[in-house]
Amino acid sequence: MLSREEKNRVALLQGTLDLLILRILVFGPQHGQGIARAIQLNSEDVLLVDHGALYPALQRLESQAWIAAEWGVSSNNRKARFYTLTAKGRRRLVRETGQWRKLATAMARILDLEKLEVLEG
Amino acid sequence: MFHRRPQSDFSEELRAHLGLEIERLRAEGLSEDEAYHAAHRALGNLAIAGERFYESSRWMWLEHAMQDTRQCLRRLRKTPAFTITAILTLALGIGATTSIFTLVDAVLLKSLPVANPSQLYRLGNEVHCCVWGGFTQSDEFSIVSYELYRQFRDHTPGFEELAAFDAGGHTFGVRRERGKSAAEPYLGEFVSGNYFSMFGIRSYAGRVLTAEDDRVGASPAVMMSYRVWQQKFGLDPSVIGDVFNMNGKAFTVVGVTPPGFFGDTLRSSTPDFFLPIATEPLLIGEGSIIGQPNRAWLDLIGRIRPGAVPLAIQAQMRVELQQWIRSHEGEMDASSRADIGKQTLYLTPGGAGITSMRHDYEHWLKILMMVSGFVLLIVCANVANLMLVRGMERRQQTSLSMALGARPMRIVRQALTESLILSLLGGAAGLAVAFADTRLILHFAFQTGTASPIDASPSLPVLLFAFGVSLFTGALFGILPAWMATRVDPVEALRGARATRQSGSLPRKALVVVQAALSLVLLSASGLLTQTLRNMEHRDFGFEQERRMILSVDPVLAGYKPGQLDLLYRRLHDSLTAIPGVAAEAAVLYSPQGGDSWNDMIFIEGRPRLATNVAWFDRVSTGYFETIGNRIIKGRSFSEQDTAASRHVAVVNESFAKKFFKGEDPIGRHFGNAEPGLAGEYEVIGVAKDGRYFSENQPFYFLSESQTALFSDTANNAGEVRSHYLHDIVISTTPGATVGDQQIRRAFAAVDPNLPVITMRSLSDQVASNFSQQRLLAQLTSLFGLLALVLGSIGLYGVTAYTVGSRTNEIGLRMALGAGRTSVVTMILRGAVILVACGLAVGIPLTLLSSRFLASQLFGVSRYDPAILSIAALALVFPALIAALIPALRASSISPIVALRAE
Repeated sequence: MLSREEKNRVALLQGTLDLLILRILVFGPQHGQGIARAIQLNSEDVLLVDHGALYPALQRLESQAWIAAEWGVSSNNRKARFYTLTAKGRRRLVRETGQWRKLATAMARILDLEKLEVLEG
Repeated sequence: MFHRRPQSDFSEELRAHLGLEIERLRAEGLSEDEAYHAAHRALGNLAIAGERFYESSRWMWLEHAMQDTRQCLRRLRKTPAFTITAILTLALGIGATTSIFTLVDAVLLKSLPVANPSQLYRLGNEVHCCVWGGFTQSDEFSIVSYELYRQFRDHTPGFEELAAFDAGGHTFGVRRERGKSAAEPYLGEFVSGNYFSMFGIRSYAGRVLTAEDDRVGASPAVMMSYRVWQQKFGLDPSVIGDVFNMNGKAFTVVGVTPPGFFGDTLRSSTPDFFLPIATEPLLIGEGSIIGQPNRAWLDLIGRIRPGAVPLAIQAQMRVELQQWIRSHEGEMDASSRADIGKQTLYLTPGGAGITSMRHDYEHWLKILMMVSGFVLLIVCANVANLMLVRGMERRQQTSLSMALGARPMRIVRQALTESLILSLLGGAAGLAVAFADTRLILHFAFQTGTASPIDASPSLPVLLFAFGVSLFTGALFGILPAWMATRVDPVEALRGARATRQSGSLPRKALVVVQAALSLVLLSASGLLTQTLRNMEHRDFGFEQERRMILSVDPVLAGYKPGQLDLLYRRLHDSLTAIPGVAAEAAVLYSPQGGDSWNDMIFIEGRPRLATNVAWFDRVSTGYFETIGNRIIKGRSFSEQDTAASRHVAVVNESFAKKFFKGEDPIGRHFGNAEPGLAGEYEVIGVAKDGRYFSENQPFYFLSESQTALFSDTANNAGEVRSHYLHDIVISTTPGATVGDQQIRRAFAAVDPNLPVITMRSLSDQVASNFSQQRLLAQLTSLFGLLALVLGSIGLYGVTAYTVGSRTNEIGLRMALGAGRTSVVTMILRGAVILVACGLAVGIPLTLLSSRFLASQLFGVSRYDPAILSIAALALVFPALIAALIPALRASSISPIVALRAE
């Protein structure tokens, strides 16, 4: 089994973390540690979530009213702050996702093009 | 909608996170200890996370600003030499600019201190002084006769009130009835009864003049200015209602004007008394012009009705003007009649009153504003340089903070905070400088005035200006160093103490080049203005200035009748020439360069009338030309044979002869003034050398005090009578003699104790006072130029010294390898010379460009004068070299061993 350090990890681009948080919360309320874990697992450990950066991001999203927070109890009976996606946040997610897809497609096209040109050259 | 979440709540969430994470890691098989550390590592520094949370609150910027301010103040306190230098430099720059702005504000921007000045409108575009003869005026009607004023006042409903007042002003001999004091000269102004109600001015004590006071037959009333009440009568309440003797007539002081009110015109000497127009005949006597429709002597200002359109009022007044002129068509001569159709008038905003000062001072205030702006730029460059050095010294600290995670924005903000704090402190100190400066400038600019209506203490607009300039300055000198501050590599902090790169020296050098260029502009401007002043003062005036004194008198004040004047002047002559040391004495209507003169139309016997037939005239007593030293180049001057009964004679000057007699011999030819019928009145007996009496090359004619012409027009006769009241006595003294004021006053008292000497001054002082504006402009520009030079030299010194400091090792190494002291000095000097040369290269075109702005102020010197430009360049280079030589010599004395050990 490969150790973690050897894996080729990608640092998160500014702004992408917000989108990922919103996406994770579609599945239901979750606390901070759970969100970080979920991102990591769902990206098959490629995306590294800096836990220190996660909380300011949550704070930001909360102040924009895209997510709401409430203290609750975790599955293993620990006290934790749970975040839920608001209707406003859901709309935001839909729009952001659309933009991301567009951007990703465009990027892929250009990068492929470059590859072709390089090969030809 | 935003509500703050308590910090404790956030900390709790983080603790919960750690708990969950440790639990998960343990589940993955890590030990308690490993899991604890791994979880903490993943979360990063809890403190940072907490801080970031805290910072997301919107009040953070304020907290940061306060933090930065506190930190800056602490740092500034730690480096008092830097702080004091910067603040003083800034205070000079901001102070200079602010004091000039105080003048600009007072002279060019401010409205009169009256109610709603925006509703006021004044007659005329241009400002005309004193008295204009005739029913027509050239260009426009800007002053009017009393009859025309009443026409406008009673038939222009667009004005709520239309007031009239003296365009000239009068001096009266005033004495308080109770008490035995002698009459003293005071300035008086005739105003219409509605003058104060039109301005919305209430009395400070007593009551204001009203329409009731301005009626024929009303008991004579007068209003005193607050300044006179305070300075001469110590705010004595018994003055109100008391009887004052004005030119021998009893007037009751009915009230005092409020403190800030200085009348309708901003000028160096404002009225002491306001008198109803209706009392003019009582005070002026035979010279009264109130009843003369063809003597315009009143300015008009009116308050328009709310909603009235000024242009409509102007159109209506033009119609009224035409009607009025046509009603006098019968009394006009043919050429004036032909001009009737062209007669027009303009209504202009009058909130600033009669703005004669604006016309006189506008251009030179703009020059001074520009000059002080340049000084401010130089100051900015200097302080920016200081800040850059400071930034360099703090590099280590800055790179360390950045290595520890400080964000670049924060570093920039801190640097900017420092420059803003410095500039605001400098601005506050600058206000003190400005206050002192302004008083000094006012003293020089209005030295003739007893009291200037311009307040030197800073007003709200001035304070705002100073604040704005401080902020602007702070931003200007702060941005570059702030930006430079962030351009440090955090790695540098870890390296050795001395950076090998000469980073940041380019902007510093650029600043020195800018300073040198601006200094050159100021130095050559001051050179040009100083040369102008010298040319003006040393040109040929056509009369002697040395050993000549001018005593100004006004026999009207002592109640003299026209028939008594000839005898009075003869007795004064005898009494004054009896003083030991007095060589000669003569009386003259207006002495040369006294700032006043009369002019009239000239008709030559046997010649058609010239299109422009105006000449200036002066009336003199016998012996005048000899006393003042004005040479007679042909014929003779007045003598005792010219009496009231003999042939009326005149002396003309060269310009007069050239203009009216065109190459013919003027001696024995005849001419007259004012009326074509009098063309044979005077016989020319002599030609005097052109003298600069009022301005350049004016045709002048001189008449004798002993002779009086008889005109057909009563107004002309009144003027003829008035011209016999000679205002100035000229005395010349023998070389080496000094004549004291008291001797002169005693000589006057021996003739008539009631005849006051209004002023006494030397003719050279009188001439010089005409150039007080030019002198002030030249002196201030020179002062600013000097300041620029000093600052520029300090700047160059700073850059050179810094270069030497940072190259100590290199220099030591060079010397260890055999370089001589001379070559080290040359090397350092070369750098400085290149900077100054760049400054000159930028400065010379800039100087040539900006001297265009000076062109109208120059006299007898070209704005491209190569000598002055060269002197300015030398004046710049010489101190600059000295400033560079000091650190260069210091560099050459570096001991190689010490330098190398320092590494």
